[in-house]
Amino acid sequence: MSLIDCYKSLEGDYDDVLGRLRSEKLVQKFVLKFLNDGSYDLLCSSLEAKDYKEAFRASHTIKGVCQNLSFTKLYRSSHELTEALRNGWSPEADPLVEQVKKDYEQTVTAIRKLQAEVGG
Amino acid sequence: MSKEQQFKQKILIADDSEMNRAILADMLESEYEIIEAENGVEAIAAIQKYGPELSLILLDIVMPELDGFGVLEVMNRHHWIDEIPVIMISSESSSFHVERAYKLGITDYISRPFDAVIVHHRVVNTIVLYAKQKKLAALVMEQIDEKEKQSSLMIDILSHIVEFRNGESGLHVLHIRSLTELLLKHLNQVSDKYRFTKEEISMICIASALHDIGKISIPGEILNKPGRLTKEEFDIMKTHTTIGAEMLEKLSFHQEEPLVKEAYAICRWHHERYDGRGYPDGLKGDEIPIHAQIVALADVYDALTSERVYKKAFPHEEAIRMICNGECGAFNPLLLQCLREIADTLQENLNNTKTGQIDEQELQDILEEKLHPKDNPVSERTIQLLEHERMKSSFYASMSEEIQFEYSITPPMLTLSEWGARRLGLPELIMDPLGDERVTAIMDPEDIKKLGDILHNTFRKNPVVKYDCKANTGGEARWIRIVAQALESLEDPPVYTGVIGKAVDIHEARLRLDALESMVSHDALTGLLTIEYAEKRIRERLAMSAGERYVLLLLDVDHIKEANDSRGRMFGDQILAHVANIVRSSVGEEDVAARISGDEFLILVKGRSDEKEAARWIMSALEGDYEGFKVSVCVGTVAVEEGEADYDKLFKKADKALLMAKRGGAGQYRGYNDCMMEEKNL
Repeated sequence: MSLIDCYKSLEGDYDDVLGRLRSEKLVQKFVLKFLNDGSYDLLCSSLEAKDYKEAFRASHTIKGVCQNLSFTKLYRSSHELTEALRNGWSPEADPLVEQVKKDYEQTVTAIRKLQAEVGG
Repeated sequence: MSKEQQFKQKILIADDSEMNRAILADMLESEYEIIEAENGVEAIAAIQKYGPELSLILLDIVMPELDGFGVLEVMNRHHWIDEIPVIMISSESSSFHVERAYKLGITDYISRPFDAVIVHHRVVNTIVLYAKQKKLAALVMEQIDEKEKQSSLMIDILSHIVEFRNGESGLHVLHIRSLTELLLKHLNQVSDKYRFTKEEISMICIASALHDIGKISIPGEILNKPGRLTKEEFDIMKTHTTIGAEMLEKLSFHQEEPLVKEAYAICRWHHERYDGRGYPDGLKGDEIPIHAQIVALADVYDALTSERVYKKAFPHEEAIRMICNGECGAFNPLLLQCLREIADTLQENLNNTKTGQIDEQELQDILEEKLHPKDNPVSERTIQLLEHERMKSSFYASMSEEIQFEYSITPPMLTLSEWGARRLGLPELIMDPLGDERVTAIMDPEDIKKLGDILHNTFRKNPVVKYDCKANTGGEARWIRIVAQALESLEDPPVYTGVIGKAVDIHEARLRLDALESMVSHDALTGLLTIEYAEKRIRERLAMSAGERYVLLLLDVDHIKEANDSRGRMFGDQILAHVANIVRSSVGEEDVAARISGDEFLILVKGRSDEKEAARWIMSALEGDYEGFKVSVCVGTVAVEEGEADYDKLFKKADKALLMAKRGGAGQYRGYNDCMMEEKNL
């Protein structure tokens, strides 16, 4: 899977990210790096431990990274989750967590395919 | 580190996401040295470490430990924000956040997602602007400094002219100025009544140089007359005060200048005395402006210690004594106190101060700088020196096998040397260490608090403190010695701001000391405590645990004399050792057992109240056969009643009871009762 196809598959905005970071090589480097980012694991574990402050931060970090990489879909759900957790747990948070999990899976599946292709 | 990298400007990136840091670092690392921090606490540690070497900080808002606003608050508190520009990068786009960040002093706010090229431009622009601003500030400082130098030069020349007529060297003006400065600074420290700012001090010192300008109008014959002045001559001499003041008053301009006002007061009133017996106006007490009082005192001191046409120089101590005795007129007691308190270091300080000296070299330097501006601005060289110092101290720290530490009160933060952190298994930086279990697991909070209190309470008088305590290092409790120095702020008076210090392992040395102490505290034959140590320990027990029940027993081994006589002294000693062994194995850890002397022993048992039972317990333990010798003891006891803490009385009572027991023959027991004391003379 090429980088452009990867962005299509994870429903991101390739043109936008290329416009900001200016180099395909750089974009690819950071997209592959996304697999190593610990924020998602932190989000899951802190939700489990009902540590909503930490969960807010983790969600906020995911949102920021997605913004930088123009992962539009995951950005949207993580953004909404961040707001839902800003003042601790709220009833809207639960369905949003599910949405973020789904979108995250979609994103990493696409990136893994890219990784298999380029051997990163 | 390559040479090239060493002189790259440094940028700190503080963001909790490694990815976000990497994206920013990637854009900037070819031109700048990147330092990364993954939370606010690390960011502050980096700012403390690198200080003004940082050219810029890129700061995220939402971070663990301490968020971006927290970092900005600390930067404001320490005025770092004035030195280091901060660009905030965040996906928080609410105007509330942006507004707050700007209020806290950031230079720029970049929202995510950012454009790499734009971020790059903004970073470069900000750094260049700040560098320009710093250069400009340095230039302005230099100019001000130069101006000040020149104006004080003018004043020095002017007053030198006056001195010159007086046949003096110009040292007088210089001394008056230094003395005035020393007195003013000390007065600031000891008195709440007077508060002089640095600017005021500097101005009064400059003005002090003008105190004698009126002498320009005094005829040379009077000014330089070797003998005593006649009354008429003295009256003329006195007018130098009013004439000097008048000269300043008649200046057609600068009337409103504070310097002129200060100088007026000093000229006119530097011969007034606190009791009103000075001249020209006979002002009294605080009617005399304080700075005129100070210059008057300085003037008298310098006049006494200098040689004049009409007198020899008095030694320093003599001069101080004469002034304090009132031989040169009355002065403000507070100023006399100041003079006495700075007296010890006065001579040294006067010789060291160069303030205001007309120095040709200095003039040369100023000129040189003007003609050939240096390529390197001063600040860059300073930074290189700092870098050098840091490398040096980090090297020494790693070599010395000491745990070196630094603690700052605001923010509460403990920084450990690299080696120290590794040794203790702690991170190099710990926020709020007193509330951190990793720290309190190593050192008892009681000890930390005690050490902190000592440092805090004595930091003005005795800033270096030694403290021995136990600490859990490497999984065992070991004795350590902490040598620490309190840090104080540059304010006046200084404030306690933190501590630097080191901890050294003294475990082995301490154990040797303990072993030595144990050797002298134990009886050589029996291995029990000596009576002196037992007494000390019992007194401690009684003082510490009031309300606890104890029984004090005194034992006397029967027939030892006979055993000595019939089977030799060695055998007698063996019996005593045998008794001691049984006593030692019978008493508990909280009891005290000692050999008093010869064949007498002492036991203090805790938690018993029945004397008789206590006596039976030890007697039955001891009774028996030792190599054909029938061992038995006489016992006298006294029960320690609640709240009774007088060891001497208790001992006397038990001793009395023992005497009674012995009187009844071998193997007897008596408990003390008050009737016994009545037979005093037995």
